[in-house]
Amino acid sequence: MAIKPASGPTPLGASTSATSPSPSTHTLSFPAQTFAKLAPIPFLHAHLTSSTGARRPSGRTPSESRPPNIHTGSLTHTSGSAVVRIGDTAVVCGIRGEILLTKDVADWKHPEISSIPQEENDGTRRKRRKTEADEIARLNLLVPNVELSTGCSPAHLPGSPPSDLAQTLSHRVLTLLHTSQLLEAAELRIWHHPSSSSSSSILKPQITEPLSTSSNPNNPTITTVEGFEGGGTGDTDGALVAKPQIKAYWTLHITLLFLSLDGNPFDAAWCALLAALLDVRLPRAWWDADLENVLCSPLVSESTRFSLNGLPVPLTVGVFSREDEQGIGGETEKKRAKWCLVDMDGFEEGCVRETVCLVVKGEGDSAEIVRIEKGGGGLFGRGEMRELVGAAGRRWREWKALLDGIRGDGSGDTDMG
Amino acid sequence: MADRRRVNGPAGGTAPPVYAQQAAGFQNTRRSRMRGPNQIRKLFLKTGLTPSASGSAYLEFEPSLGQNGVPGRLSDRPSALKLTCTVHGPRPLPRSAPFTPQLLLSAHIKYAPFASRQRKGYVRDANERDLAVHLESALRGVLIGERWPKSGVDVVITVLEGEEDCLEDEPFASTDSEYSRSKGLGMMSVLSGCITVASAAIVDAGIDCVDFVIGGVAAVARPPLTNKQKAKSRVKSDYAESIWQILMDPSPAEHEDLDAFCVVGYLQSRDEVTELWVKGNTPNKGDSQDQEETVLDVLTDRAVEAAIAARHVVVEAFKESNKFRIQSHSPDQG
Repeated sequence: MAIKPASGPTPLGASTSATSPSPSTHTLSFPAQTFAKLAPIPFLHAHLTSSTGARRPSGRTPSESRPPNIHTGSLTHTSGSAVVRIGDTAVVCGIRGEILLTKDVADWKHPEISSIPQEENDGTRRKRRKTEADEIARLNLLVPNVELSTGCSPAHLPGSPPSDLAQTLSHRVLTLLHTSQLLEAAELRIWHHPSSSSSSSILKPQITEPLSTSSNPNNPTITTVEGFEGGGTGDTDGALVAKPQIKAYWTLHITLLFLSLDGNPFDAAWCALLAALLDVRLPRAWWDADLENVLCSPLVSESTRFSLNGLPVPLTVGVFSREDEQGIGGETEKKRAKWCLVDMDGFEEGCVRETVCLVVKGEGDSAEIVRIEKGGGGLFGRGEMRELVGAAGRRWREWKALLDGIRGDGSGDTDMG
Repeated sequence: MADRRRVNGPAGGTAPPVYAQQAAGFQNTRRSRMRGPNQIRKLFLKTGLTPSASGSAYLEFEPSLGQNGVPGRLSDRPSALKLTCTVHGPRPLPRSAPFTPQLLLSAHIKYAPFASRQRKGYVRDANERDLAVHLESALRGVLIGERWPKSGVDVVITVLEGEEDCLEDEPFASTDSEYSRSKGLGMMSVLSGCITVASAAIVDAGIDCVDFVIGGVAAVARPPLTNKQKAKSRVKSDYAESIWQILMDPSPAEHEDLDAFCVVGYLQSRDEVTELWVKGNTPNKGDSQDQEETVLDVLTDRAVEAAIAARHVVVEAFKESNKFRIQSHSPDQG
């Protein structure tokens, strides 16, 4: 491949000049992998300073990311699942919806929910999103865990507690879930309408409600609200109606299993999570007063999907830099060159200290920065950041095209194996 | 309980959804077996999926799509075994480890939390450890361990989707004898899949082996009894006369009346069995001990036949991946 001509002379020259006095460049030749193992940083540097243009050992340019690949809905025992591959990194995400009864929550207070006005302006929507995100965070309704000890790489073998990397990844996913306000608490609440409780064990009057409102499935939030308001007003005649109550919440147990790890775990994990969230179908659930429990409808036609608050997509960049101690020609000026490597693979991650992770929604002028994480050094400046926003926007478009396809192809029963 | 290294859910605990069955107007029915008694399910095997590992393989069984599978339902979707396996090594043991003249094999089997209907924990439980011990004994016989003294190899299997012992709506921990009889079959099929996938991954890693070791399962089944027969068969001696048949590669979702099952790890080229595990009672055709033994023999033979059938898939998968490997390597050498 492109490795040989690019890597041949320069790393050999660099390494032999350190060990042997006579650098005879072409007598000795090792395969490229050997150089990568022995002297990773000079190896990467040689690639990036190659005369044929900066190329990474994988053959990509510094700003080129690996094409992603998504497959959803192949796991049976989940509410939603996805497999995401970026190059040699592969993640399986499985989401299980389970029910948290409010009576099991210590000092639970019923949130004050004013009926949502039909025309919500930006300000009130933002405020509602904020309070709902707080509600989700307070109740721990989202439980993401990243599992690396699946033999995905020799560095993470099972039999030990989760590694530091696994712990930080879980935590980063969790905080991004909360700060991006991706999910609305309204979609996780399970209501009880006391007025219709007498008929709750018979399905018929219940089934008509969602069926009549499911004609506009693009906004399930309003569906829920209409459902309870309609139920309330419909049965008001005569009897005094108790207020609808929240009896339970859906809790999402999210497991992110790495099948293979070759760099950029956070991007892969987050996008797998997004894809799985788009794939989730939660059954219609109601409180059964006789059983004192929540029952769910097994019908797919009655299940709901989440309306996600945009699609925040991360892009991780590493800053590789190396002081040119002595150039090969003998120029002794100390120059610190740097390269921003987008979507690093495992080898590049080992050579890079400074990383930046930018999470954006949208691209171009409408791009919204959700989160910036940066650590490991001070080489990444304002100009690079501006470039990164552009790159992240392009990456967002790439992911969005794939993620939009998840719901595009219908019921999701089509793909097996 | 609270694991500080992981994100824990609500402290009060959560429960899986309970589906309203009667309300929906139909009942869950078992899928019936559509293939013949000597036919195994289709399987899919691919090697080399985890490039960072020395060897890896992925195995998937065809989901049992019987005539009774109900589309449009969330609760009763057909599940199928899905396994990934990675092999790391052979690599030197740490200095602190005592000397071993042979390759030290260690196997890990872990169910993903979403692999079964009940959410599994992140820490291995007793069943998973048990499976790993069986897998180790199945694999130890095929490795030529003398070639790697002082080194170890890790075989790591993740069960992405397991097989269930019972249907979605049946009570999970019921003590009802009617179906507890076929309990444990899910674990047997998982073990058989694990043996096959681990063997494929070991060969993919290039570790010297005597042969592929392939898992196979067979079970003794009784055809569904009519009510009259059912009433009669309460008496134990009558049961002996009821007809039984031996099924290869039974899927737990398809059968309820299974009396005994057997899993083998089989080497075809040597005609050796490295692992044999039988559960349940083999029916007794008469009073003599001899005849009981023959039923067990037939059961084991069928399990071996199932392994031979599965072996074809493994061999084909390897031919394919080797062809691919040769093609991708030849331009580099030339």
